[in-house]
Amino acid sequence: MAATATTYYAQLTGWERIKEFFNAKFINILALSLFLLLAVFLLFPIFAVLVKSFQSPEGFTLAHYKNFFTHAYFFQSLYNTLLLGLINTIICVSVGFCFAYMTTRGPMALRKPLKIIAMIPLIAPPYLFALSLIILFGRVGLITQTFGVNWEIYGFDGVVIAQTLAFIPLAFLMLENNIKSLNPNLEESAYDMGATEGTIIRTITLPLLSPGLLKAALLVFVMTIAEFGNAAVLGGRVPFLAPDTYTMIVGEADFSMGSVLSVMLIMPCIVIFIAHNYLLKGKKFTTIEGKPIASEPRKMSPFVKVPFIAITFLFGFTIFICFAVVIMAAFVNILGVRNEFVMRHIMDFRSNMAIWNSIKVSFIAALIGGIIGTLLAYVIVRGKFVGRNLIEMISLSGFALPGTVIGVGYLIAFASPPMKLTGGIMILALNCVFRFLAVGVEAGITKLHQINIEIEEASWDMGATFFTTFRRIVLPIMFPAFIAGFIYTFMTAMVSLSAVVFLVSPGYELAAVTIFDAAAYGKIGLASATTLKMVTVVVLCMIILNLLTKFTNLDIERKGGAA
Amino acid sequence: MGTNEQPTLILKDIHKSFGKNKVLNGISIEVNRGELVTFVGPSGCGKTTLLRIIGGFTEHDSGEVILDGRSIGHLPPNLRDTRICFQNYALFPHLTVGENLAYGLKIKKWDKKKIQERVDELLTLVQLEGFKDRMIDKMSGGQQQRVAFARALAYSPKVLLLDEPISNLDANLRILMRDEIRRLQTELYITTVFVTHDQFEAMAISDKIVVLSDGYIQQVGSPIEIYDHPVNEFIASFVGYVNFLDAKIDSIKKETSAAVVSTEYGKLELDIEQAEFVSGDDVLLVIRPETIQIAPSNGMVRQNVIQGTLKRYIYTGALAKCHVMLGDREIIVDIHDPRDHVPLRENDKVEVTISRNVHVLKRQGSGPADT
Ligand SMILES: Nc1ncnc2c1ncn2[C@@H]1O[C@H](COP(=O)(O)OP(=O)(O)O)[C@@H](O)[C@H]1O
Ligand SMILES: [Mg+2]
Repeated sequence: MAATATTYYAQLTGWERIKEFFNAKFINILALSLFLLLAVFLLFPIFAVLVKSFQSPEGFTLAHYKNFFTHAYFFQSLYNTLLLGLINTIICVSVGFCFAYMTTRGPMALRKPLKIIAMIPLIAPPYLFALSLIILFGRVGLITQTFGVNWEIYGFDGVVIAQTLAFIPLAFLMLENNIKSLNPNLEESAYDMGATEGTIIRTITLPLLSPGLLKAALLVFVMTIAEFGNAAVLGGRVPFLAPDTYTMIVGEADFSMGSVLSVMLIMPCIVIFIAHNYLLKGKKFTTIEGKPIASEPRKMSPFVKVPFIAITFLFGFTIFICFAVVIMAAFVNILGVRNEFVMRHIMDFRSNMAIWNSIKVSFIAALIGGIIGTLLAYVIVRGKFVGRNLIEMISLSGFALPGTVIGVGYLIAFASPPMKLTGGIMILALNCVFRFLAVGVEAGITKLHQINIEIEEASWDMGATFFTTFRRIVLPIMFPAFIAGFIYTFMTAMVSLSAVVFLVSPGYELAAVTIFDAAAYGKIGLASATTLKMVTVVVLCMIILNLLTKFTNLDIERKGGAA
Repeated sequence: MGTNEQPTLILKDIHKSFGKNKVLNGISIEVNRGELVTFVGPSGCGKTTLLRIIGGFTEHDSGEVILDGRSIGHLPPNLRDTRICFQNYALFPHLTVGENLAYGLKIKKWDKKKIQERVDELLTLVQLEGFKDRMIDKMSGGQQQRVAFARALAYSPKVLLLDEPISNLDANLRILMRDEIRRLQTELYITTVFVTHDQFEAMAISDKIVVLSDGYIQQVGSPIEIYDHPVNEFIASFVGYVNFLDAKIDSIKKETSAAVVSTEYGKLELDIEQAEFVSGDDVLLVIRPETIQIAPSNGMVRQNVIQGTLKRYIYTGALAKCHVMLGDREIIVDIHDPRDHVPLRENDKVEVTISRNVHVLKRQGSGPADT
């Protein structure tokens, strides 16, 4: 065997040999390059933060940590952040469950409307709710003025409310997915044996959902403690880690303390990410065997129906009001002072420039993210090298990393040559690319698992080179995954604030940062108008996504039929 | 004994559609106490839907469900004395075998000791002693089936509803479980509605078979009635294999029921006991493979004997299947205990004898076409 191989190689010219080598090893070379990219743009910045937190001009030091734990202020900040995460998680998961139960088990007529209202916050940045609360309860807010209610919205309560409203969709989506994969016959069996609906929920539905509930809880926790905008706008004098990091870095230029706060912020996330990966492995009641059975609507018992409807309607209505007042405020001159219709916020030049910049940055991020995500999925599924799982884990971990930490990390890591990126447009795009890879990679993995490796091997058999196979067979199949990654990265990059707030340079304002600044300085009209335009872009994007998936699905079906 | 007693379960003119899809079109059935009634029909014909209507999971559009003389159509499942066993068993994966069996009893607020006694009793009943603390996913398919059955029996229901309870098991186990279910059902004297798409299963297990197709009841009867006196072509070919032969009645004597029919292979003398036929009717002869005699041809012309060629001879031990060509039509003849039979070789000339006791069907569409 070896002998024939050597003679075969000996017959080739040098160029052919190089080509041969690349064909055989391409996937490994690709994997290595991708790993390097992940290392540089995801691991290195975090490593840089860690190093910075232990660094003093003299070398290694624990002084910054000592500083952190001896100041009551910082400790309070950590405590508030974790408490916020805890309260939010409990509310979001409970309310998310109510919505998910109603949209899968509730009356038919309510399913669609409740699902839509529970998903609406997804099209908006989380800090939209901070803005809404200011419009409603601020010093010159609608409710404050109309009803004379004097409720201090700046503080812990305000942040909790805004965060809850913002992260209900996340919990809802995960739980709805989970409930849908429950075999409805299980609940029906309990019903058959005499259980009432409340008992069924307590003894069957919730226990079966427990892995999903835990997963949703972990995710909501990570997302809420890392979210910067609501705490920064509404926190007032109450300290939270994410905005404190911002103050340290941008306000006081204290990079060491900023790094310590970042480390404190990332610790729970890492713990939870590991828990998420290992704790939940194999812990799933896969209860549908064979064909899935659609659950038939059943009459809800009033003991369940009344509270569930009350909760979902209350939150649904609040979400609706929050959106409505932001749209309204975009057209009001100075809210509470000069309540007249104006177009000047919508037409504002700086706001429009910021939107345009955001679109540019997001487009670049989406393009790079889509490509890298697709390639990553390919090497993860088809590669045969050790460390595949590691690459998968790193590329999926981005979503669990607080944007604040990535922002600080990029600022530290890419501030000086040889890799000076700060002050440019690329740094704004790149952090988004690597934080939001997960969706594209997962879509790609799913797609690749759907197609048989044999199709590829058949192409190899017919003498096609690796590149031809990749171009002719793999790319067309992966295209929908690329689109998914592209659109998701675009949408999240459009609204993302927590990382870019560290990275924008004066000449290059982004929409998210413009909204944040405007809201913080009480320029409600400008903030609302920019938010409205941002949401419009995101919605357009989703419509395009829908059309594209329809189109590409048809395309693939046709190809499948022809083969 | 059950004749003057009213039926335990009565379905009256049940209709159900899902949107435009009419699934059940006026189903009326009576199930007597202690009886096992089987709904059999091809997949998608509405068997599960009917069972779910009885159990209270699906709302019917019109009609009545009566249990022990009480209309229960409006009641939710937890207030009905029916117990359903779903096709996928629907055992609670987060509970042990024992906890699964105890679930309904806890709901009924039995006390702990009584529950434990009942659980042990049930485990013995389905021969699963010692499995009480197993998780469900550590049980084999057959064991899961037993648990599901035991769970349904836990709190003696008035009617047991079994939706294809053994269709997920492999062939040998299926027969074993089928007989086991039948044994327990008769022993416990529990009124049961059994759903299956397998006609042989239905034949083997039922007191009464209800054949469903396209949402209509095609025939209700005992296994013998269904097999020997099918009311139409669908039933005849649904239960076991059947050879159809077109014929026209030349004469029929009402007193003796002796008839002469002509077929493309000549005249046959038959006993047609069904009173509705008269001379001149176009009919279909329903000839079961095992009722035909087959022998090597000796060329003699005799009554009810048709000449043919043996095309294939398939020996399966207890049975030999002969594919015989009569002209250009192929019929199937079964030879029971083929070792005692005259040896036959493929491509031999053979003759087949049609029994006088043949079931006869009116040829569909023949009536109106004549007039
Ligand atoms: N919940 C439902 N919604 C809509 N159509 C249904 C539903 N359940 C059953 N059907 C339809 O009713 C017909 C009968 O289904 P089913 O009762 O499950 O048949 P079987 O059990 O005899 O195979 C099928 O055409 C099926 O698609
Ligand atoms: Mg069925």
